[in-house]
Amino acid sequence: MKPAGTDLLLPDGMTPAAVVDALDARLALREGPPTERDRRFYDTFDGLLRAAGLAFVYESGRTRLLSTEDGVEWAASAMSDPPDRAFAGELEPGRLRDMLTEIIEVRALLPLARIHSRQRAFGVLDASAKTVVRLVLDEPVVVASPNRRLALAPRIRIGAVRGYGKELAGVRARLVDDLGLRPARRSELDEAVFATGATPGGISSKVDVALAPDERSDVAVASVLRRLAEVMEANLPGTIADIDAEFLHDFRVAVRRSRAVTRELKRVFPAEHLARFRAELRWLQQVTGPARDLDVYVLDFDELRSELPEPGRSDLEPLLRLLFDRRSVAHREMVRELRSDRAAELRARWPAFLRELVTLPAEGRPDAPRPIREVAGERIVKVYRRMIKMGRAIDDSSPPESLHELRKQGKELRYLLELFGLPLHPGDVVKPLVRSLKALQDTLGRHQDREVQIAALRSLRDGVSSLPGGPAALMAMGVLIEHLGGDERAARAEFAERFAAFASKDQRALVWETFGP
Amino acid sequence: MSRVLATYNIKGGVGKTSAAVNLAYLAARDGAATLLWDLDPQGASTYLFRVRPKVRGGVRKLVRRKSDVERLIKGTDYERLDLLPADFSYRHMDLALDAAKHSTDRLARVLEPLRSEYDYIFLDCPPSISLVSENVFEAADALLVPIIPATLSSRTFEQLEALVAGGPQVLAFFSMVEVRKSLHREVMAQLRAAHVTMLGAAIPSADEVERMGVDRAVVAEIAPASRAALAYEALWWDVRRRLTARAPRAEYP
Repeated sequence: MKPAGTDLLLPDGMTPAAVVDALDARLALREGPPTERDRRFYDTFDGLLRAAGLAFVYESGRTRLLSTEDGVEWAASAMSDPPDRAFAGELEPGRLRDMLTEIIEVRALLPLARIHSRQRAFGVLDASAKTVVRLVLDEPVVVASPNRRLALAPRIRIGAVRGYGKELAGVRARLVDDLGLRPARRSELDEAVFATGATPGGISSKVDVALAPDERSDVAVASVLRRLAEVMEANLPGTIADIDAEFLHDFRVAVRRSRAVTRELKRVFPAEHLARFRAELRWLQQVTGPARDLDVYVLDFDELRSELPEPGRSDLEPLLRLLFDRRSVAHREMVRELRSDRAAELRARWPAFLRELVTLPAEGRPDAPRPIREVAGERIVKVYRRMIKMGRAIDDSSPPESLHELRKQGKELRYLLELFGLPLHPGDVVKPLVRSLKALQDTLGRHQDREVQIAALRSLRDGVSSLPGGPAALMAMGVLIEHLGGDERAARAEFAERFAAFASKDQRALVWETFGP
Repeated sequence: MSRVLATYNIKGGVGKTSAAVNLAYLAARDGAATLLWDLDPQGASTYLFRVRPKVRGGVRKLVRRKSDVERLIKGTDYERLDLLPADFSYRHMDLALDAAKHSTDRLARVLEPLRSEYDYIFLDCPPSISLVSENVFEAADALLVPIIPATLSSRTFEQLEALVAGGPQVLAFFSMVEVRKSLHREVMAQLRAAHVTMLGAAIPSADEVERMGVDRAVVAEIAPASRAALAYEALWWDVRRRLTARAPRAEYP
């Protein structure tokens, strides 16, 4: 076990030079050569690395993944220049890439802060002049832009030497008790992020709105929808700039959730206003659909290709090129719509309407004053029952559409459970229900995805056939279509079992008990 | 992927400890997590690193894996370079090994939990042919063998190669070389011609190397631009180059 190093801040008014003098008077020190460091830190938009207790840093030709707690290096790799944006897949193969892929998946690493610091390193010596504790006096400056530099408070970093835990504790106690140094509440990196006006930890797309069971339904619904509107706003610039595929994905999830809430809890709204906004949200989802579909094809391409036997894999290259081309066209079209007056109007009016909602007259919106727990519970029971009825009607002869319809209801139920079920009911009841729903949805999703993929591959055949290497690509696509068809049938065969678990007697009783009147 | 490197020679006083300490320092300086295990009861490298020559529980518990080896490790003055110290009880290591089951792979087993933590593990071995050296041959990926260019050194080298045949890679290098002595120059030329496995770098007999014991520091710190410091750099470069050409031995099951 390596004891963790900790940062200490200097007392008010004490200069770095004064602290060195004071240390020198109390401890046997050996000073090493001073260093100038220029570190550039990166994280994803939603702070995935920080949440995992890690930091990604570029410094003089190397990138490293460090533990934020004790600065221990987990992995490193060479990189000639600091990137403006980096994906895990673009790094040199090795441990760094593997670890990053695991944590950030398809998200891009974006510049978070650049810290320039002057450091003086000291060894604290024991009676035989051996280093038993390491101290670094760090004077960091955040380089916010070429002509904007922000000095941070100097700090002393205590570094452990293995096997000298007692000495570490002793030195730390002296720094705190004798010199009045105090433990830094925030890491140097968080401090730097704060200094530039940003939020450490990034911007989350999670919707954790605290709700009270007997809160008025219109108040609760408006606060959930306002949070969803915030998520859309937060993800819009990254969607337009095409930073990574998650921006558009999170944006669309927020739109879809908003539509589900306005549909299921429509009786808290005045009908005439709601219809207009619902139409606009639907439009927003439609104009972002093709770009998202193509994102998914591109992201899944490697997986799809691995379904082919090894010799045929490279035959699919023309398809990938076609997908890239179509994707950039779809993206351009989407950006035009997202920048339109129509979108601007929706972005301004929708949150404004949500703020006003509670002040509107109660006529025509009978659920508005009722407690949210009751109203949401009714909807959950209703959608659950609808799903049971629909699922029971499905047999081997049912058309694929019947499974698609069931899946849509499943999404609706999932959003209700996540947005209103979890905040208002005990987690140990809601979570198992969400789990069995997820298992069912996975099967239904796979069934539909395969069907959509098959249709997409068929529709791309004409485009591929005219490209160089087209005939071989067509053959490979034929093999894929066959393979995907097999998987679609397998998902369909799984359905009965998954549905039975979701619709079991125990599960039904639990839903009634938890969400019923 | 950790590599275990042992500085070894049947004879004493040929520069084993100096090589182990200076090469381990260079490995750590280049960014590798490095451990040096001072197996010699005299504890010369432990002394150089100013660490107390004390292993709680002594050699008997250590080779039977009754001690938590990770807690016995001490950090040195150099970042990333740790030491597993010597202990006076190591003088009975042969007896302790002999009394244990699987007496020839006990040291490999002690190192097993450390292999994931360190990129390089150096073993600074006592001179002899014994159960300790058999254990070292079992544990090491390569033996770094300092050889003083004198009559009979070729014979020593051949004996050693025969002794470890099929075991670790043998990387011999000249140590304590006095280039002014024509005998040294002649022997070096002969040996290099006869053995392609002989490393090119040669460590001179130099004041800086002898000063290590007085200053208790590595040569790179005492005299960074000296011939000896540069010779260790060259040796480390040479060793690494030869190691990468060969996959490490399978880790212990």
